[in-house]
Amino acid sequence: MLPQPASLAEPSQYAETVALLRLESVSKHYATDGARVDALRDVTLSFSPGEFVSLAGPSGCGKSTLLNLAGAMDFPSSGTVSIDGVSTTALNDAALTRLRRNKTGFIFQSFQLLQNLSVVENVELPLLLAGAPHPRERALERLEWVELSGLADRFPHQLSGGQMQRAAIARALVNDPRILLADEPTGNLDTATGAVILTLLRRIVDEHGTLLLMATHSTEAAAASDRIVRLRDGRVERIETRAAV
Amino acid sequence: MPAALLFSRLMLRPLRREPARTALTLLAIALGVAVVLAIDLAGDAAAGSFRSSVETLAGDADFEVSAPGGLPSSAAASLATLPYALNLHPRIEDSAEIVQTGHVVPLIGVDMVADASANESGAPQDLGNLSTSPQVWIGRDFPHPASGTLDLRINDRIVTLAIRGRLKGSTGEAAVIDLALADRLLHRDGALDRILIRIPKGESNLDAWEHRLRAALPPGVTLERGGARTRENRKMLQAFRWNLRVLSYIALLVGAFLIYNTISVSVVRRRAEVGILRALGAGRPAIAAAFLAESAAFGLAGSLLGILLGRLLALGAVKLVASTVESLYVSSTPAPIALTLPAALAALVLGTAVSVLSGLAPAIEASTVPPTEAMARGRVDYQSRVHKTRDLVLAALLSLAALIASRIPPVEGKPLFGYLAALLLVAAGSLAIPFLVASLADLTGVPLRRLLGVEAMLAGRGLAASLRRTSVLTAALAVAVAMMAAVGIMVGSFRETVSLWMENQLKADLYLRPAGPESADRHPVMAASVPDRIEQLPEVLAVNRFRAYAISYGGLPATLASTDTALEHRFGRVKFLGAANREAIFHQLPLGNFAVVSEPFANKHHVEAGSTLTLSLGGHSVPLRILGVYYDYASERGYILLDRHVLLRYLPDPAPSNVAVYLKPGVPLDEGRAAVERAIASHSVLVIANRSLRDEAMRIFDRTFAITYALEAVAILVAVMGMAGALLALIIDRRRELGLLRFLGSSAAQIRRLILFEAGLLGLLANAIGLALGVLLSLILIYVINKQSFGWTIQFHWPVAVLLGSLTTVFLAAVLSGLYPARVAMRLNPIEVVHEE
Repeated sequence: MLPQPASLAEPSQYAETVALLRLESVSKHYATDGARVDALRDVTLSFSPGEFVSLAGPSGCGKSTLLNLAGAMDFPSSGTVSIDGVSTTALNDAALTRLRRNKTGFIFQSFQLLQNLSVVENVELPLLLAGAPHPRERALERLEWVELSGLADRFPHQLSGGQMQRAAIARALVNDPRILLADEPTGNLDTATGAVILTLLRRIVDEHGTLLLMATHSTEAAAASDRIVRLRDGRVERIETRAAV
Repeated sequence: MPAALLFSRLMLRPLRREPARTALTLLAIALGVAVVLAIDLAGDAAAGSFRSSVETLAGDADFEVSAPGGLPSSAAASLATLPYALNLHPRIEDSAEIVQTGHVVPLIGVDMVADASANESGAPQDLGNLSTSPQVWIGRDFPHPASGTLDLRINDRIVTLAIRGRLKGSTGEAAVIDLALADRLLHRDGALDRILIRIPKGESNLDAWEHRLRAALPPGVTLERGGARTRENRKMLQAFRWNLRVLSYIALLVGAFLIYNTISVSVVRRRAEVGILRALGAGRPAIAAAFLAESAAFGLAGSLLGILLGRLLALGAVKLVASTVESLYVSSTPAPIALTLPAALAALVLGTAVSVLSGLAPAIEASTVPPTEAMARGRVDYQSRVHKTRDLVLAALLSLAALIASRIPPVEGKPLFGYLAALLLVAAGSLAIPFLVASLADLTGVPLRRLLGVEAMLAGRGLAASLRRTSVLTAALAVAVAMMAAVGIMVGSFRETVSLWMENQLKADLYLRPAGPESADRHPVMAASVPDRIEQLPEVLAVNRFRAYAISYGGLPATLASTDTALEHRFGRVKFLGAANREAIFHQLPLGNFAVVSEPFANKHHVEAGSTLTLSLGGHSVPLRILGVYYDYASERGYILLDRHVLLRYLPDPAPSNVAVYLKPGVPLDEGRAAVERAIASHSVLVIANRSLRDEAMRIFDRTFAITYALEAVAILVAVMGMAGALLALIIDRRRELGLLRFLGSSAAQIRRLILFEAGLLGLLANAIGLALGVLLSLILIYVINKQSFGWTIQFHWPVAVLLGSLTTVFLAAVLSGLYPARVAMRLNPIEVVHEE
C-alpha cells in the first residue's frame, strides 16, 4: 500500500511565495485550415513550488495548451511564460531542451511508455537522453519509490493500467523536475486505481516540493488539488482555492 | 462506377497525402522496369547489327555453301555445271578498317557483272572498268560520303579505292568490291568464302534441292539453308543475352520487395478503416481486391514511367552491350534502338504483374481484418505477426532445395536450374532475415548504447519492434547487396583467373597482329614474309606463327586455329583439364590429325579428350581426334587448335593472324622491338609488348563487364530509394514515439541521430546479410551458371578492394537515405503527434 496522502487541511511545507512558473498575459492561437483558433486568451497565472494545481474545464478550453506552454514545449503567441524567472520565449531549441530535461516532467493520460523498452529502460530514458550519470541506479530508485521495482524488467504490455501510470510517473520524476505536468493522469484508469495515482501525486508534491499542474475533467481528481484553475474558451473563468474545493 | 469512386477515395487519396513516399515507390518500380526494358532494347540493337552486316547483300538466298578456310574452286565449278536454272552468287567475305576513322566494316567481294546483269543485290548498272581501277560501292549506312576515294586497311596493307556510289537496300555498312579485286587484295588464290544459291522460282521443296545440291558438291564442303550464320550468331549470343536479362531482373526483384513493403504499410495503417468498411458490408474479396488494385495502380504508373526511362537508359546500355558482343563474340556496330509496341507492352505487363504479385500477401492479410477492429476503442498499435522461427526452418529447406537445384545439368544449354538455385537462395536469405534482425537487435542493444549512446540503442530497438517492416526493407537492400557482392566476386574471380592465365600463356616478348581493332570473329592476316623476316633478325630467338579461321561447328560459330606445337611446348605454359599428360599431347599433336580444344568449345559441343571432330578442310572431310581440353579465356566462341604444319596440309595459306616473337636472352625489349619494327616497316602491323598486351586484355575485360556493374548500381539505387521511402513510413508510424522523446528531453539533433542510426543499422545489417548471401550466390554463379552458360572454369578469388569499396558505398548511401526522413522527424510537432490520439 502506498502511504496515505498528506492532510489537505495543512498547507504544504514547501509552499513558497516566489513563483516557480509564471504566465503573464499569455495568449496562444493556432491556424487550423486557415481559421484562427484562440486556445488561450490573456491568461495570467502564477504557481509556486509545492503546489498541486488542477486545470479544469470542458474539452478545448485550453488545458493542454497551458500545460504545453508550462512545459516549454510550445511558445506563447503573446505574453511571457517564465520558469524559475527565465522566459521561455528567449530560449533557443537547445536551451529549451535543457530546460525540459532539468525542470519539467510529463505524465500523460495514455501513459506513453515506449513499448519496445522495458519498464526500467523507459524510466531511465530521460537520463540517457540528457547524458546524466548513473541512469540505471536512479531509475531503480524511482521505481522503488513508486513500488514497481519488482517489475523493472517487464515490458509495458505486461503491466496493468495503474502499473503503467506508476511507471510513467517514475519516468517523469527520474530527473528530479521542479514542475510536474500531468495531462488527465487518471483518465484511462478505473476509480480505485485513479485514487491510488492521485495519492501518489500528492505525495510527490508534499515530499519533494514539486509543483504539480494537472489537467483533468474529473471532479474527484480536481478535489485532490490545492487550487483549481477553471478555464473556459481559453480564459481563466475562476480560481478555486483548497478551502473552496 | 462506384468501385472506381471508392477506390479513388479510399485507396488513392491517402497516397496523395504522402507524395514523397509515393513518388519513391513509383520511381523504384520505374527503374526496375526501365532496366529490364533497356537491356532488352540494347540486346536487340546489338544483335540487329551483326544480322545486318552478315546478311548484307545476301538477299533471300535459299542455300549457302561454305568451308573453313575457303571453298575450293571445284565447288563453284560443280554447281555451275548443274542442269538447273540456279542463281549462284559467289562471295568473298572479310573485313576492313577505314583508315581515317578506325571504323571496321564488312568487306564483301561479289561478282559485279553477274549481279548487275541479274539486277540483284542492289548492285549498280554502271560498273566502269573493273579490271583497271580499284573501285568500291558503299552500303546504305556506310560511315563515309559516297564520293572521292576511300583508304581501307585490308589485312596488313592500306589500299585506296575509288568510291563509285552508294548501294540501296539492306546493304548496311558494307564496302562492296568486285570478286576479282577481292581475290587479289585478300590473296585468296581463287578460293571463295561462300556461294549463295537461289533455287528456280516456283520451287518449294527445299529438302529435295538440298539433297540434289549435296550430291553435286565435293566432299569437305558445308551446305546450309540461307541465313545459317545469322542463326548461329543468335544462338551463340543466347546465353549472353539470357544472363544479362536475368541480371536486369534484379532491380525489378528489389522493386518487388518495396511494393510488398508499401502495400504492407498501407494495410497496417488502414486496419481501422478496413474494419469500418467490413462493418459497413464490404466482403473479404472486395478488401483484397482494393489492395491488389492499389498494387496494380503502382505497377501501372511505375511501368509507364519505366518505359520512358528504359528508352533513355537503352542509349547508354547499347554501347556497353555492343562492346561486350564485339569483344567476346562477333563484330558488331549497334543498330538504332527500336522501342516497339510489343516491347513496351511486355514491360507494362511485367511491371504490373510483379507489382500485383508483391501486393498479394498484404492484400490477403487485409481481407482477414475483423469488423470488430472498427469498434476497438482508441488506436491499438498493430504489429503484423512475424513467424521468425518458422521462417528460419523454411529458409533452411529452401537452401537445401537450392543445393539440389545447383546440381542439375543445363536445359538446352541454359542454366535454368542454376537460376532457380539462385532464386531459392535469395528467398531463403529473405526468410532468414527476421530471425537475424531480431537476434542481432537483442545481442547488440547494450553494446550499442555503450558505444554509440542512447540514440543507437533506441534505433536498434525501434528496428526490432517493427520487425516485419524492417525485415522486408533489409531483405530488399540485402538482395541488392548480395547480387552486387556475388557478381563482384564472380567478375573479380574471373579477372584474377584470366590474369593468372595470361601470366602463364603469354610468354613471348612481342606480339604482332595486323593493325586495326580486334574482334572475336575477325582474323585478318599479315604477309607470310613478316615472320620470315623477323626470324632472320639476330636479336630474335624464335617466332611462333598463329593462324585463326572463323568457322562454324555444330551449328555454332567457333575458331579453328593452328600454332607451332614445338614452340608452344618449349615456351608456353598451356594447362590442360584433368590429368592430361601435357608432354604426350605436345609430342602427338604434330604427328597427324589431332587437335586440342578449348574448355568453352568442349563444354558447348560436349566433347572431351578422346572424342573425334570432323571438319571440312580444303575440300576434305578431316576427322580430328581430341588429345586434350585446355584452359582458355581468349574467346567464348571456343577454339580447335591444330599443329601449324598439320593445318597447312589442308589449308595451305601460310599467312599468320598473329605472331609471337621470343627475343634472345639479354636483348633489351626496346632494342628487340625496334629491330622488329624496322624489319616490317612496310607492313601495317602492330607490334605489342607483352605487358601492353596484358594491360589491353584487362582493359577489354573491364569494359566487357561494365554493363554488369551498371546493372548492379541500378539495383542498389532502387533499394536505397526504397529505403528512404520506407524510413519515411516508419517515421510516420512512430511519430508518437518520436514526439514523446521530445517531451522526455531529447533534442532535435538527437532525433536526427536516432533516424540516421536506424538507416545506418539497416545498411550494416543489409551489408552483412547481403555479403553472406552474396558469397553463396557467387558460388552458384561461378560453378553453375557461368560453367553451364559459357563453359569457363573460374578460380574463386576474393576481390577485397571491390567488395570493401562497394559495401562502404552502400552503407553510406543507406545513411544518406535517412537524411530526408530524419529532417521530417525533426520537424514533427511533438504536441500534435502525442495528443492526436
